[in-house]
Amino acid sequence: MSEPTPAPDPAGPELVGPDPRVPGTPEEVGRRTHPLSALVQGLLYSAAATIALVGSTLTGGGWGDLHALISFGVAIVAGLVLGMIAGYVSWRFTRYVIDHTEVRVTTGFLSRASRRIPFERIQSVDVAEPLVARVFGLAELRIDSAGGSDSSTSIKYLEKSEVQRLRRVLLARAHGDVLDDDVEQPAEQRSLITRVPPERVVYGTLLSLDFVFAVVAFVALVVMAIWFDQVLVALGGAVSFGSVIVQMIGKRVLQQWNFTLSRGEHGLRIERGLLSRTSQTIPFDRVQGIAIKEPFVWRRLGWQRLEVDVAGYSSRSDDVDEGQVTTLLPITDPALAGAIIEELLPIGGPTVESHHMARGARLFAPIGWRYRSVTASPGVVIATTGWIQRTTSRVPHRKSQSVELRQGPLQRWRGVATVEIHTPPGPVDADGDHLADAEARSLWVAQVERTRTAG
Amino acid sequence: MSQDQLFDPLRGAWTRVSPSLATLRMLTRALPLLVVAVALVVAALLVPGARWWILASAVLVAGGAAWTAGWALRNQRSWGYSETEDELLITSGVMFKRLVAVPYGRMQFVDVQAGPIERSLGIANVTLHTASSETAATIPGVPTDEATRLRNRLTELGEARGAGV
Repeated sequence: MSEPTPAPDPAGPELVGPDPRVPGTPEEVGRRTHPLSALVQGLLYSAAATIALVGSTLTGGGWGDLHALISFGVAIVAGLVLGMIAGYVSWRFTRYVIDHTEVRVTTGFLSRASRRIPFERIQSVDVAEPLVARVFGLAELRIDSAGGSDSSTSIKYLEKSEVQRLRRVLLARAHGDVLDDDVEQPAEQRSLITRVPPERVVYGTLLSLDFVFAVVAFVALVVMAIWFDQVLVALGGAVSFGSVIVQMIGKRVLQQWNFTLSRGEHGLRIERGLLSRTSQTIPFDRVQGIAIKEPFVWRRLGWQRLEVDVAGYSSRSDDVDEGQVTTLLPITDPALAGAIIEELLPIGGPTVESHHMARGARLFAPIGWRYRSVTASPGVVIATTGWIQRTTSRVPHRKSQSVELRQGPLQRWRGVATVEIHTPPGPVDADGDHLADAEARSLWVAQVERTRTAG
Repeated sequence: MSQDQLFDPLRGAWTRVSPSLATLRMLTRALPLLVVAVALVVAALLVPGARWWILASAVLVAGGAAWTAGWALRNQRSWGYSETEDELLITSGVMFKRLVAVPYGRMQFVDVQAGPIERSLGIANVTLHTASSETAATIPGVPTDEATRLRNRLTELGEARGAGV
């Protein structure tokens, strides 16, 4: 299988257009990504195309009059060729510019898309190394900005050292500093907060909620199968159950391998992954909220998971990261969790009396009402909910976007109302559900006041 | 606590939206149902057999149209907003009541949007965007001049107090 185009020599600078550091660069020109991107992207596209084409031959038993085997072979070759062409085209039409005010990325062959991200809008900058790119020593730069459903931009792929340099430049500019590119910067000072050993991730996953649910479902299936004398069904269940376990553990372990949390100049740094490495940087002042999650079994063992809201993360839609990007710490003990939270979102004083669900509304949450509460301090709102998985959310007043008071007909019947603190989309949700209406109103008024003064 | 107290503005009174909002919703939601009901009645008169169930569905659809018209009137009256010193308050809903406070500094941008029917009625939708999608602060049925004024004022205030995300 030959590539449609020979990849240009990586050493030869294929840079077209002016240097990105020169201000006033026209939009149409800019730097190209690394030439090997065409190959990497081509391989990724090929895999997808091949799977789709091969799938179509398998289901139909060959195309038209062609023998199944021939069409199978044609599918593989066509998938590769199509993927490589797509990869080359996407590389050929991708340019990026970083000037003194913003990042611009232009992509697309048929429909050109150009995106500008002003530095002050940058929420976080990540370096991702998908396995294929990592083999070639390349990495992807991902920039998350606030707002919109598609606010994540990536430049793929560049040499790893270049990506790391760009990240430092962007993070510094996001803070209003200007790094002089020509002067060799000293290595960034970073101090390790914690490293999560892989075996702890395995134990954590084994005792996590989805896993426990899977076991319960499996036992129920086996019991039913034995009851109805269907051994084959039980066997089939066991096989699919096994594959679910392997996938679940495998995925988490691969993604959270060597999960390292450290503190840098501009923010927290998360590094993780065995095959595909990811390195996230979350600037300290871009943390919109933190949630402590404690699944049922974990509570007994004193384990916690920390999740973080960062504007822009929720719009990430790639399979590699699936729900992982918001993880601040996959498994930890309460002391460390408390210290990290207090450092990022300081409580700033004594909390007010906490609000609980009104007695009259207990029918809305017959078991969970006990665990629902919301309280506030000068710095943050803290809301707790959940009886199977306990979630404690902490949102700083200066990051809450708006405050809502609402009441549905059933709530009106029971004389209760709900107060919601609005945060950027993510795992953190600080709400006071079903509070007695006078209490809800006074909490709402107080919260509006706190949000305003914290602004 | 009475309903009025629970969903009161912090101070001052609500600015209500234009009654044209009710007209708009009558035109776009109740009228099509009414047309269907009339069409069903005509069909019932033309088709000789099985008239009763066509008539029954005509009655049902007409009922739906009447309910929608009533909803449009009541819902229009429930909308209100209030520009206090530091935040914009928005209230809405008859069955599902809602009261949102958006501090000016949290606003990312303000949209004014109006379709063809809305333009002919002289109203527009004003939407405030914050970094949170939950905010959902759309005020429908704002008179066009007022919408422009509101947008300019909110943008100005947002810029003056913006804290970034």
